[in-house]
Amino acid sequence: MATSYMGKLLWVDLSAQRFRVDQTPEKLQTDFVGGKGFGAKLLYDLTRAGLDPLSPECPLMFLTGPLTATAAPSMRACVVTKSPLTGTYLDSFFGGRFGPEIKYAGYDGIIITGRAESPVYLWIHDDTVEFRSAEGIWGNNALAANDAIKNDLGEPEAMAVTIGQGGENQVRFALISCEYNRQAGRGGAGAVMGAKNLKGVAVKGTQVVNVHDLPAFKQACQQANAAIAESEVCETLTYGGTSTSIPWASLSGVLPYRNYSDQVDPKAEKLGDEAQHKHLFLGKAACFGCPIRCSQMGAVRTGKYAHLITDIVEYESAALIGSNLDIHDIRAVAHLVKLCDEYGIDSMSAGGAIGFAFEAAQKGVINAPEGIRLDFGSVEGAEYLIRSMALQEDELGRLLSQGVKRASEVLGRDTEAYAMHVKGLESPAWGPRGTPGMGLAYMTADRGGCHQRGFMIGYEVGGEEYNGQPVEAHTVVGKAEILKGEQDYLAGTDALVKCDFGAFGVSAEIYARLLTAATGRRVDAGFFSELGERIWNQTRLFNLREGFRPEDDRLPRRFVEEALPSGPHKGQRISEEDMTAMRADYYQVRGWDEQGRPTEQTLKKLGL
Amino acid sequence: MSSASRQLFIKTNFDRCTGCELCQLACSERLLGGYNPHRALLQITHTCENLYHFPTVCNQCKNAYCANVCPVKAIGRDSDTSALVVDREKCVACNLCHRYCPLHIVGVDPELKKSVKCDLCGGNPLCVAACPTGALELAWCEKPAEAGEGE
Repeated sequence: MATSYMGKLLWVDLSAQRFRVDQTPEKLQTDFVGGKGFGAKLLYDLTRAGLDPLSPECPLMFLTGPLTATAAPSMRACVVTKSPLTGTYLDSFFGGRFGPEIKYAGYDGIIITGRAESPVYLWIHDDTVEFRSAEGIWGNNALAANDAIKNDLGEPEAMAVTIGQGGENQVRFALISCEYNRQAGRGGAGAVMGAKNLKGVAVKGTQVVNVHDLPAFKQACQQANAAIAESEVCETLTYGGTSTSIPWASLSGVLPYRNYSDQVDPKAEKLGDEAQHKHLFLGKAACFGCPIRCSQMGAVRTGKYAHLITDIVEYESAALIGSNLDIHDIRAVAHLVKLCDEYGIDSMSAGGAIGFAFEAAQKGVINAPEGIRLDFGSVEGAEYLIRSMALQEDELGRLLSQGVKRASEVLGRDTEAYAMHVKGLESPAWGPRGTPGMGLAYMTADRGGCHQRGFMIGYEVGGEEYNGQPVEAHTVVGKAEILKGEQDYLAGTDALVKCDFGAFGVSAEIYARLLTAATGRRVDAGFFSELGERIWNQTRLFNLREGFRPEDDRLPRRFVEEALPSGPHKGQRISEEDMTAMRADYYQVRGWDEQGRPTEQTLKKLGL
Repeated sequence: MSSASRQLFIKTNFDRCTGCELCQLACSERLLGGYNPHRALLQITHTCENLYHFPTVCNQCKNAYCANVCPVKAIGRDSDTSALVVDREKCVACNLCHRYCPLHIVGVDPELKKSVKCDLCGGNPLCVAACPTGALELAWCEKPAEAGEGE
């Protein structure tokens, strides 16, 4: 029976320089479907409590879903490992062209353990796996390494993932750069790769990805494409990617400004779509199989950074390297984000770390090196810190490259008050004061402070309705229930692996038709929330086993203690009482006990 | 032939191509019943850090080296579309067509074990229908008359 699964997993042991191919376990496929689901189950089973993410034993997994590599629009793949930044379960999703290639080579996923004695890269072509020396490439930035690997192989059509110097140096928020210039950005998967002495993975395959019922699948693809074409949100993403969200977020009072001291930026327009159209954009690029083409490619044409080729400065980077640092020359922000991409460090965490350092310097806790101004608005200061973190050039860089949680623990002197993170993951660029549901989403996200596990701002200020009713922003009541629904559905569709942007158009019904036609397994629209709840509880079990407790499900002190000074949510904060109330509600709707542990009944219901 | 002739062709507009590969997915689906862009009958090259995407389709050459070198004359012109098509019954999979195609866009498929090339889908190319941006468009061109060359 034809199916869109390849039915095989590739296991690579870098220490022994051996590999084996096993069947994808049927139960894994049935209960966890793919992508995030596979990752949640495999990471739990393959690790023990307290495992050092930077040890050889820690698995680094590149996982596809049953719709990856097919004509189903806007599908992706993910990296799953244990985060060296947070110590939690970590998944990080990436578009581009690498994910599908894993399936064209014949695999549902690649699971890498061990540590090579000296730098290597993997060359996977169909059933052949080669361990090739990366000695000559070590030290290259992430994009240069992509070129170097293809040149070394003489395979321009191979697809590659690489790390930059940040990953080599095991910066705790190092990223993996995915064909091409797409990032598995958050949580430090690049450091795990660097700790394995693995500079890159190149893949090329000749296998065909089949589907169970081609006519039905083609029809479902047409419906999905039509739904995307009709979606106003998708149309906005086609027009300007996520850059349009910058001015909107400031107007809505949720844009981080000067290390979150406020959530309104008077100069937000300078970082938004109009500015980027004027100064950067030239044309559009798409990830594999995506009609949305949210990526706006371009170049800086004038000024100090002229002739820098740059992708769109997407919302999170524009906010965290721009408004959060009070830097408003979009060309300079493009330059700083490109530096992060090349060195291979997460621009979101980097922005958080720099904002923290600027504030600490302002307060006299850290001293700027001679000739460098460490203060809001300083492009040179930001550039200096990015370099010193990625290249581990000095003590300050080494300290900040551990993330703001560890840095504030070392520095003391009440720096914790403005270290903006949840469970060690630097806060994303949606300030939650005034939208406590978004705060709860951060408190409970499986990988720490993340906005993509339940985007409550859409309800709280974006006008989205819940059960046909508008959702009041400034209340904690009822937020847990809405959030649970969001988290479950997103986790379920992250098993496919869908892109969040495609999901603005494609409905649960259409995803169900796509999955049914692709695999032959009959599912309905409700399937994804059920699946997602199982996955969500599986990642919770991992984090509990690592010792996470209810007191870790909390927000950074600034969101709790400091009322917003201006904007539509002036005076708002999320107090200890608010957090306690939302946490209790949340555990209850999840079927967890007071310690945040899934009850026997819940686990039984989910088959865990 | 002495007078000008009209011929169907796929015009590529690299300024509109986003590199999404939906065209290649549609092509491989028709050819193989499944998906793999490497085995599609058109190519996309990404250059300059993904800033440019160049789609390349078969030129349906007037002076077609693939047909010229075929030892069994398996590549001939379809009378309706003027596309060059492979007669799989005749093809002996020697792959000379691939070797001498200036674009290397024709050649033996590893599984089908026969030479495969773009046949314009019989006049209604699926790649053109799949392209969301108009980077591929179907057009007719006037081929000027030639004296004593090619066909």
